[in-house]
Formats: sequence, C-alpha cells, structure tokens
Amino acid sequence: MNIEVALRELLHPIVRWARRKSPWVLHYNSGGCNGCDIEILDTLTPRYDVERLGILKEASPRHADILLCTGPVTRQSRDRLRLIYDQMPEPKWVAAVGSCCCSGGVFQGAYNVLGGVDHVVPVDMYIPGCPCRPEAIIDGLARLLELIQ
Amino acid sequence: MLFKLLIFPGFLFLLLCAFVFDWVDRRMLARFQGRVGPPWYQPVADFIKLPTKEDTLPQGVNATVAAALPMLALAAVLTASVYVPVAGVVSASFEGDLIVVLFLLSLPALTYFLAGWISVGVYSILGGHRSLLQYFSYEVPFLMAVAGPAVLSGSWSIASIVAYQAQTTWGAVMQPLGFVLAVVGLIGKLKRDPLDIPKAKSEVVSGSLTEFSGRKLALWRLSMNMQTVVGIFLLVNLFFGESRFFDVLPAFPVFGLKALSILLLLATASAIYARLRIDQLADLGWRILAPLALLQILANVGIGG
Ligand code: SF4
Repeated sequence: MNIEVALRELLHPIVRWARRKSPWVLHYNSGGCNGCDIEILDTLTPRYDVERLGILKEASPRHADILLCTGPVTRQSRDRLRLIYDQMPEPKWVAAVGSCCCSGGVFQGAYNVLGGVDHVVPVDMYIPGCPCRPEAIIDGLARLLELIQ
Repeated sequence: MLFKLLIFPGFLFLLLCAFVFDWVDRRMLARFQGRVGPPWYQPVADFIKLPTKEDTLPQGVNATVAAALPMLALAAVLTASVYVPVAGVVSASFEGDLIVVLFLLSLPALTYFLAGWISVGVYSILGGHRSLLQYFSYEVPFLMAVAGPAVLSGSWSIASIVAYQAQTTWGAVMQPLGFVLAVVGLIGKLKRDPLDIPKAKSEVVSGSLTEFSGRKLALWRLSMNMQTVVGIFLLVNLFFGESRFFDVLPAFPVFGLKALSILLLLATASAIYARLRIDQLADLGWRILAPLALLQILANVGIGG
C-alpha cells in the first residue's frame, strides 16, 4: 500500500506535466449568437496555432480534457450540455468563453435562457468578451493549464 | 535474440520511432500550413496523459472485448515488425515472411472495424462500416503493388528482396508506378488524410474510436503510430533497399533518411489533398489503382522473366 502511495507521489509531477502539455478541447455552443464560436475557430487557425501548446480540437467528448463552452444555456440545450459534460472522462475542466457564457450577458433574463453555463456545469475559467478575442481565449486556456494539478 | 526483440530493432526502438515520426509528421504538416507546430515532447505528453484519464465505456459494451481489441491491433503490428528489417538488421526471417507481414498489417483494420461494431454508437458503427469499405478499396491495389518487388526478385522474403536490390538498383527506380501505388495504399491503411474517411471528424466524430477513452485510446493511438512506422519501414525495404549505386553512406542513417522521406511524402499528401468521398475512393481503388497495379506486375513479370 505504501509503495503504491510513494509511486503515485513520484509519478505525480510527470502526470501533471503531461496534463498541462496535452489539453484536448471540445467545443460546444449551448445557445450563443455564434460570435464566440467564430473566435474559437480563429484561435484554431494557423495564425494563432494553439497546437504549440499541445491543444488539439477533438470531436468526441470521450477524448476531450477541456470543454470550451460558448453562449448562455438555453432551456433546450441544458440537458445536452450536461450529457456532454458527463460523457467526458475525468479529470476534466470547463472554460466559459464569452460574456454570455460567463453570466448570461445580453441574453440575461430572456424567457428561454437559464443564464451562464455555471448553472449547469462547474466552470474552471471564465473568459469574458463579446465576442472575446482569440488572444483572450489563448490567455484563458494558458491560465487554466496553470491551474491543473 | 532477446536484445533484437526488445531493444533494436524491436519494441523500444519502434516506440522511439513512433514518437519521433508522430512529432515529425505533425511538425511537417504544421510547416506546410504556415504554423509552428507542437514541441518535440508532444507525443510523449499525449501518451502519458491518456492512461491517467478515466476509462469510460458506454453501457452494453463488452468490456473484455473492448480492452482486447487495441491490444490485438498493437500485437499484430509488433509481430509484423519482427520480420521487417531495419537497416539490414532483422529479428527473424524466412522465405515467405512478406506474406505474413502483409497479413499481420491488415489485422488492425479488422480490429478497428470490430471496435466500431461493439461500441453501440451510431458514429462508431458508421465509422466501422466506412473502415471496411475503405479496406476493400485500398487493400487490393496495396497488396498488388507490394507483390511487385516480390515478383521482380522471384522471392517472397523481404531480406532477399533487399538483397536483390543490392545487385540491381532501388525498387522505386525499376517500378516507379508500383511505389506510388504502395504509398497511396499505405495512406489508406493508416487512415491518414486524404483517406481518413473512417474517422472524418466533421462527419462521423472519430469513427470507431468515438467511445474509447483513457488507456484504450492511448493503445489505439500507439498501435496507429507503430503501424505508420512499420508500414514505412516495409516500403523502405521493398522500394529503397540497399543499393550499391545510390547508398554510399553507412546503412543506419541512410535508412532513417529514406524512412523520413516517405514520411514527408505522406505529410505532403495530407497537406495538399482534400478528403475523398467514399464513392470516389471506391472508384479510385478499383478503376484506377487496381488496373495500374496489375500493369506494374505484368511489367515486372516481363523484366524479371
Ligand atoms: S458573448 Fe457575445 S459574441 Fe459571444 S456568443 Fe455571447 S452574445 Fe455572441
């Protein structure tokens, strides 16, 4: 038992390093205006080249480490967002991209909107902006990576 | 023997090559697209990270089969690598080992299909079906193209095909058509762009592997990368064997250079071609590649006599 604990302690820095260097993201829009989605696509273009940080965009929730949410949560997409979050394997993190994803933004109080994504899933990093710039997204992701233990 | 199996040219060497090739490949693709690309430790970080993640499986999936499939794929590729010489060093060799290698290298396609079939997801099953369809399109031209050097040299052993080229010249010089066909077949086998129909992200999420995570996904990726390495080494042996006309430098760096050149070809193909539709691939495979491969074999029979 003690050996196992010791081994885990020994491996922990390596595992943490690997997790910080290889974050695969999944992108889901739960009801925004599409502005932030375009910015996320910008972030993934050769101009910003996030593969430098090891960031890859994955299509399957099962492969992803970080959920990049955009838009507020509408009543219709609430269950889907939850499902996608639950499908991701632990450990997982959520980054809320855009003002309306952080707080509801301009959609606050609309009859079909619950508010920010933190109503449905735990958020680790808020990246405000309407829409937020690719630089801000990269900065937010880099800070999120620093938080990974 | 054990040294050969485990260290060079066996498991450890292949693992190192898998990481290096993965990085070089991603880096070259990035440079083609005007990007910088991932740092050198990227494949290692990916490989360490994945097993530390939760190992999820959807309900209704047979856990034993799901765990066995990636191992089977990896085992098949590693067994094939035993018979593929690296710069003239080979762990085992006998007359007819080329056929064994080809058979073992087509096993991962089967496991890939089964992985899609068992994982009860729409995307997985669709990806599995697509992988089979792709398999039937590329495999026949690939086999015929790879049979070309064997017909030419009159032997089905990789070592004697290499030896035959030492007496004459590179296989790629004598049968350029066959070489091109083999490269196209290899792209199909590795499911790389532009023949990544079974795992097209925008269409079927990740194909067969959609539902796999954690350790199993790491094994799948490793088996794919190993397959790239072994496939490239096989082509180097068959088409760029040691030649007294061209190879003046020591064998090992030259072998590495040849392997990296083929990798460059693959990366170029993924950078400049868009993905084919599945019917276009079937067309290409049966209407163009297969007849051309037949032509090359006939020509080889003529030359080899
Ligand atoms: S933050 Fe602004 S730009 Fe982004 S999705 Fe919301 S409303 Fe659109």
